[in-house]
Amino acid sequence: MAVIELQGVSKVYTKGGESLVVLDNLDMKVEAGEYLALMGPSGSGKSTILNLIGGLDEADSGTIRVGDVEVTRLDDADLTSWRARHIGYVFQAFNLIPVLTALENVELPLLLTPLGKAERRKQAEYALEIVGLADRMDHRPKQLSGGQEQRVAIARAIASDPTILLCDEPTGDLDRESADQVLELLKRLSTEFGKTVIMVTHDLKAGEEAGRVLHLDKGVVEHATTA
Amino acid sequence: MSLGRLVRRHVGSHPVRAILTIGAVAVALFLFCFLRSIVTSLDAAVQESSSRRIITASAVSLFQSLPTTYLEAIEAIDGVESASRFTWFGGVYKEPSNFFAQFGTDPQTLMKQYPEIVIPEEQKQAWFNDRRGAIVGIGLAEKYGFKAGDTVPLLGTIYPRTDGSEWEFNIHGVYRSLRANVDEMTMYFHWPYLDESLENGTALGPRGTSVFLIRLADDYRGEDVSDAIDAYYAGGPQRTRTQPEAAFQADFVNMLGNLPTFLGMIGAAVLVAILFGVVNTMTIAARERMRTMGILKALGFPRQVPSRLYLMEAISFAALGGAIGMGVAWSTQGVFRSILGTQVPMYRVAPETFVWGCVICIVIGIVGGAVPAWNASRLHAVEALRRGA
Ligand SMILES: Nc1ncnc2c1ncn2[C@@H]1O[C@H](COP(=O)(O)OP(=O)(O)OP(=O)(O)O)[C@@H](O)[C@H]1O
Ligand SMILES: [Mg+2]
Repeated sequence: MAVIELQGVSKVYTKGGESLVVLDNLDMKVEAGEYLALMGPSGSGKSTILNLIGGLDEADSGTIRVGDVEVTRLDDADLTSWRARHIGYVFQAFNLIPVLTALENVELPLLLTPLGKAERRKQAEYALEIVGLADRMDHRPKQLSGGQEQRVAIARAIASDPTILLCDEPTGDLDRESADQVLELLKRLSTEFGKTVIMVTHDLKAGEEAGRVLHLDKGVVEHATTA
Repeated sequence: MSLGRLVRRHVGSHPVRAILTIGAVAVALFLFCFLRSIVTSLDAAVQESSSRRIITASAVSLFQSLPTTYLEAIEAIDGVESASRFTWFGGVYKEPSNFFAQFGTDPQTLMKQYPEIVIPEEQKQAWFNDRRGAIVGIGLAEKYGFKAGDTVPLLGTIYPRTDGSEWEFNIHGVYRSLRANVDEMTMYFHWPYLDESLENGTALGPRGTSVFLIRLADDYRGEDVSDAIDAYYAGGPQRTRTQPEAAFQADFVNMLGNLPTFLGMIGAAVLVAILFGVVNTMTIAARERMRTMGILKALGFPRQVPSRLYLMEAISFAALGGAIGMGVAWSTQGVFRSILGTQVPMYRVAPETFVWGCVICIVIGIVGGAVPAWNASRLHAVEALRRGA
């Protein structure tokens, strides 16, 4: 059974009397453990899809099911706590909290779990080990390179062991070498750790790494390619 | 790692801004304590005055002396246990800026009338036995380094000596005061020493006494005795006005006019200004933290968390500033008691003032944090991440 299923999802923005249809009756399925890339021109609604799946934004119509939860039915408070348990986010702009160290950033989402202080620290350290930055624990984001920052962000996304990773152009701000490291890491998370990864990208090479690519245009799936 | 640490890091991430904000709150809270303490200390002087004492002054004005011959007549009035002369000397110690109060009085009587003035017995006796002797309050002693055995020269202003020299007083002791109505910044000396000098022409100035301090005999009411005294002199030669000690103190406070109200308004204005300052700091901080708050939301922190962080931050500013301001107010009590001297007898910061200070800090913290907290609670995560700096 698909772990993520979108049925007839529409999203329309209205601004100054004009309405912009971003997603138009979209159907989409993602299998558990899949490594999926979303590609398409700017403004085609890729980020919007991630935000809807992660419950950061609300659809105007249609249903979104993640696991056995119908996300479209949860209210804001339930959605928030559900997100903390099931979704890991990785952003193009890394979005680390500048005043916290790498370790503290990774530990942050664990504050939402019942884990004790020592366990939180241990788990955060483990996540940093997975991304290969155990030696940079006490550095602030400013003291890290872009690639390192993004790996810390990935460690944060996996710290509380969510099943789904939503990555919005994770390599968009990185040089080739750093981008490759990040892509390799995401692939490993999918193959070795069984995470379901959905990655929005403009990077053709990133697309090649993915198990499946959905090409989006004007709010509908234009075509799909499978590796 | 905890959210508290995040708040501390945010406070510490702009040290200059944090110090300025905390400093502003500190100054405001200090001013609040200081201004309120002036008012409460003046009040206490009135409250703690004895109902067993009344004061007779000229009905014309406080600055008009009464004939010393009144003493015997007053002592003879029913209900008067004792009366002492009490004259404002107005001498200058070395420089006009060294202002402190000096009174010529009848030492033995005064010390019986005012049990709240305490001084070691042998010092007291030494003072009684020396016509040129004087005692000083502990505050005065500390301020000018006066001690028993010193001779203090005072230049007479109301009572200049005819040869232009200074008066000399021998300090025999240092007193403390047990109540707020008597300050510790005064010098008391023998009224007869002053009067003799006027008599034999070595000094010039008005004869008589500024007021009579009167202690009531048991079972007599102050009003009755006051009426009796004033009635006795109703036909002159100089009419008198006799009041309870508390009313006399209150009169003095009234001479300050609307000062207490005025002080209150200044204090309130400062607090409001500082409140705006804290709100402003927090608004700037909130603009910078927009993205951080979006991140927290995206990570699954409940919507109340960003609001709570802002509140905690604003309350930290208010609490730190308040603690410093109130700490300074607490530790400078002695300094201000000495500076304010007789004008605000026994200046001290009352415990309720600190309680009010804490309440004000909490209000500043909550209001300061409420504005960004409210904005944060309505913030949409996607929006915050898009717009955030
Ligand atoms: N809050 C909003 N109000 C109005 N329009 C919006 C809002 N959010 C997104 N849009 C519009 O919706 C469309 C889809 O946005 P989305 O961010 O999903 O695109 P995208 O495919 O991720 O593009 P890009 O590759 O540039 O990131 C865009 O035209 C965008 O301008
Ligand atoms: Mg996008």
